[in-house]
Amino acid sequence: MFNQWFKKLAGKPDSKDVAKKRLQFALIYDKLEVSENILQDLQHDLIEVISRYFDFDQKALKLEIERHNDFSALVFNAPILSAKRARPAPPRAARPGA
Amino acid sequence: MEGKIVVVTSGKGGVGKTTATASIGAALALEGKKVAVVDMDIGLRNLDVVMGLENRIVFTIVDVVHGKCRLRQAAIKDRRIDNLYLIPASQSDNKDAVSPDQMRELAKELKQEFDFVLMDCPAGIERGFENAVAAADYAVVVCIPEVSSVRDADRVIGLLYSKGITPWLVVNRIVPEMVERGDMLSHSDVVEVLSVELLGLIPMDDQVVVSTNTGQPLVMQKGSKAGDAFRRVALRLNGHADLPVEVPRAQKGFWEKIGFTRR
Ligand SMILES: Nc1ncnc2c1ncn2[C@@H]1O[C@H](COP(=O)(O)OP(=O)(O)O)[C@@H](O)[C@H]1O
Ligand SMILES: [Mg+2]
Repeated sequence: MFNQWFKKLAGKPDSKDVAKKRLQFALIYDKLEVSENILQDLQHDLIEVISRYFDFDQKALKLEIERHNDFSALVFNAPILSAKRARPAPPRAARPGA
Repeated sequence: MEGKIVVVTSGKGGVGKTTATASIGAALALEGKKVAVVDMDIGLRNLDVVMGLENRIVFTIVDVVHGKCRLRQAAIKDRRIDNLYLIPASQSDNKDAVSPDQMRELAKELKQEFDFVLMDCPAGIERGFENAVAAADYAVVVCIPEVSSVRDADRVIGLLYSKGITPWLVVNRIVPEMVERGDMLSHSDVVEVLSVELLGLIPMDDQVVVSTNTGQPLVMQKGSKAGDAFRRVALRLNGHADLPVEVPRAQKGFWEKIGFTRR
């Protein structure tokens, strides 16, 4: 009871409020993490799309997540050999508006 | 000298492995040892939030094992306690992301770098347990004075023996009032049933919740009974094996102190 008063007077936040703030950040942070499998699937899909438009060195290809203290970046490095002349139409349904 | 790798395990979940790992690790570092605590609960990490280091994760144990980064890059340095490091688990992989063989390999490097390495084991006795135990030379089994937990502890103790590890026991969440009333297994009951060496007795303590709320180390909270008990566990691990185990006592109220009893 008195402890409670002193805490309020000293301007110390309740520990449960600290807990709630930390949780809100942690839950966002957790969802930014990407697993190795997802990266591999993404790489596979990217190759498929890009090779419709370009010839590129598939061996030199690199897809990585660069993590820094305050941000993460998706870095895709694909050295282009040449552009393809005739652009094939997308395989499935037409694009919206087309 | 080579460091010691200690796995903290229990079989059952929710008995205090993560709390024990964070607290014993912090206490050992306060004793001047270079300590790493490793979250082996891949996919369900928690040690980072208990230690208040969740905002500083860049790499994880999975990255280290797969050669994506160096051990030193993944070890997060605690800014409040010198010589304390956290190696976090990843949240997006599952337990198969590392293998017991890879852990044994990593153990060599960990022992070079640290005096003590504490492995926070996930619940269960499957892959996550296998991974955490593979690297370890010592084991601390945590249990609470309840039938289901003691039974699971017995199972885990058997598994540890079969791997050539002689475990120590920590009994957590003891409520002395209930023990005195005869409604909770006493520590001597538990030790008798499990017949292992006792390393520490930790009382139930509201400060544990407050310290996980704020992410502040329990062992640095003044007047925390659980924190003090974990510090004595650390002392015992750190060469003071003869330090007697203190038994948690009931808080006596004013009337009991001057001779009145409640019943
Ligand atoms: N001595 C204690 N007194 C009070 N609560 C505790 C104590 N030890 C652990 N707890 C609480 O019990 C719960 C489970 O603890 P945790 O360390 O996460 O267990 P585990 O890692 O074994 O699943 C947590 O809510 C924790 O705050
Ligand atoms: Mg845990």
